[in-house]
Amino acid sequence: MAEIATWGVIAALGVATFATRLSFLALLGEGELPRWLRRILHYVPPAILAAIIAPQLLAGAPGLGASFDGPRCAAALAGFAVAYFTRSTFASIAVGMAVLWGLTLL
Amino acid sequence: MTTPDRDSSIARNQAFLAGARACLPLSPGVLLFGMVCGAAAAGAGLTPGQSFALSWMVFAGSSQIVATQLFSVGAPAWVIVLTGWIVNLRFMMYSATLAQQFRGESARVRWLAGYLLTDQAFAVTLARVLDSRRDIPWFYLGIAATLWLLWQVASLGGIYLGARVPANWSMDFVIALTFIGVLAPLLRDRAMAAAAVSGGLTSVFLVLPLKLNLMAAACIGAAVGIGMETLWPKSRPGA
Repeated sequence: MAEIATWGVIAALGVATFATRLSFLALLGEGELPRWLRRILHYVPPAILAAIIAPQLLAGAPGLGASFDGPRCAAALAGFAVAYFTRSTFASIAVGMAVLWGLTLL
Repeated sequence: MTTPDRDSSIARNQAFLAGARACLPLSPGVLLFGMVCGAAAAGAGLTPGQSFALSWMVFAGSSQIVATQLFSVGAPAWVIVLTGWIVNLRFMMYSATLAQQFRGESARVRWLAGYLLTDQAFAVTLARVLDSRRDIPWFYLGIAATLWLLWQVASLGGIYLGARVPANWSMDFVIALTFIGVLAPLLRDRAMAAAAVSGGLTSVFLVLPLKLNLMAAACIGAAVGIGMETLWPKSRPGA
């Protein structure tokens, strides 16, 4: 992408994000989100987070013939267990990376 | 002798400092995530200025990573903006909740509060609202501004130091683990878990043109979550 286009994308994403954050704060809290919108917004974060994580667990490219990479899956499971029970992102990264390095060095 | 004005300005300062201190337990995770975001942007071929602009213009880790990944695979501009923005739609919910606390504040304060809005600042402030504290706006600005500062410092660190980390350390996997750390605590009911599993499966097995995979995963995951909640209300306790 041309440098000027890259700047345009960053600025557009920045303005759109700022507008989203400002929405109700600027309107002085007059109003509530409709229930259907709240439900959509509630389920988007887990869906998109999982969608970013999952392709990183593959041995190759995504697609119908995708195959998973053993050490990365084991490291992800270990990180998930730590994050689920401790709620600490930091501990989850430390344990997950230790498992990945341990398994790839073996 | 103190005037009411002076008293209220002391109370504001105290609330602001209490907010800044509340940031301390969060700081290791924030610093690490910020460095990862800075290093990822620089590693994807963005200039240092562009990488840093993501951190202060967008100022949202997940969205920055999404945009970075889409930049590196050459997605069209509108797909990057739209997908990165969908990740940030949740801020609208936070904005609606926070607005009730900011009714008496000036427009300038409310705009600043909006710019600084993040998951962590919102979550910690909400806990204080539920404790019925009265100093919410300045406490919020204290934690939100401190998080902003940590994020910018960490991003700059990542932008300039990221390239020095050897490739065989698999540091790209830190991104996946960071997101796992954010995702795991969200999965407290079956509807949320179903949204996550369907989003993950979509991105693994479905390949769409124009790098629309993440957008498709968000839509399918949200539809499955809402479907679960509607067909099987027990899958979301407390709803």
